[in-house]
Amino acid sequence: MRYVCQICGYVYDDEKEQVPFEQLPDSWKCPLCGASKSDFKPEHKERETAEVTVNTEAADMKKLSAGQLAAVCTNLARGCEKQYKPAEAELFNELAAYFTRITPAINDADAETLSRQLQEDIDSYPDVRAVADRNQDRGAARVCVWGEKVTRMLSSLVERYLKEGEQMLADTDIWVCTVCGFVYIGSNPPEACPVCKVPAYKFEKVEGRA
Amino acid sequence: MERKAVRNLRLCTKDCLCLYVCPHGATDTEDSIIDVDKCTGCGECAAACPSGAISMVPVQYPPQQPKTEEVKACLNELAQSKSDGEVMAREIAKATDKPGLKRLMKAVERSERLIAEDIMREAGFMLPQGDGSHELLEELISNPPTSDFPSGKAGELLEKL
Repeated sequence: MRYVCQICGYVYDDEKEQVPFEQLPDSWKCPLCGASKSDFKPEHKERETAEVTVNTEAADMKKLSAGQLAAVCTNLARGCEKQYKPAEAELFNELAAYFTRITPAINDADAETLSRQLQEDIDSYPDVRAVADRNQDRGAARVCVWGEKVTRMLSSLVERYLKEGEQMLADTDIWVCTVCGFVYIGSNPPEACPVCKVPAYKFEKVEGRA
Repeated sequence: MERKAVRNLRLCTKDCLCLYVCPHGATDTEDSIIDVDKCTGCGECAAACPSGAISMVPVQYPPQQPKTEEVKACLNELAQSKSDGEVMAREIAKATDKPGLKRLMKAVERSERLIAEDIMREAGFMLPQGDGSHELLEELISNPPTSDFPSGKAGELLEKL
């Protein structure tokens, strides 16, 4: 049997390994991206996606929320940075800061509610992918591939934290890929991002380690 | 198509051939960013650069790939959920005094924003100069979400882009 990491695509092939996958300890991690054993699934056949219906009202630019607009503006700021337009990037960042400020708070958030939210996102990716595919929109399909992998990693890390608590992060650093958002736990970032393949220098360390 | 030279500082190995070949001194700047006002787009610097750090980019970008209403709708909804996750992570990070949880939540906050950015890029906001961005800025100026919306900044962007 072959098992595939749902985050980076690493394949664990029972026939080529010393230990069958099922017998690996629960603490075993993906050698490529550090994902948990539970993030591996048996290599699967085509999954069926039921016909997805979409309410296109949400496409209306006038209905975008402050949270969505904050992301639009930081994205456009990054677009300006890539074109070496620092003044324009700064203006978009200022608009983004405004939208972040007016984004409504979510009361009583805790790691459990966040974990449920991430799981809902994971569940909704296949539908979005189906819509991207039927519109032959490869950009939108690519967003689903990266986003689903990164979301699975976030979900798996929050789950791990809920089980292991502070000791999970006591002696190690947390790294974020500044291109796709992949989060990696370790003393050094991976040589290449397991999701979007950019080199290690594109990772940023989360500061504040005790 | 009119082009301008831009330099990727990460790739630049300071061989300085761009300085030798530029007929207008556009590459000779104290911050290493090529002067767009002096650059005429001749491409000599990009051709001479041994480290491939200089690219010629168009002044006017082509129209973007069209997005269907249903793709935009799905992506917008997903981005909303990512924004909610970002807000939750930010609040958990703020409220906790556990150093590990604080760092993990900061990472989730950043990651959720990056995912939402990527989603919105494909939902019609790829290019700062694109129609989507222009229409959005115009809409925000005519119907500001709150009275303290920085319309001046939005107007400045419309002029520059």
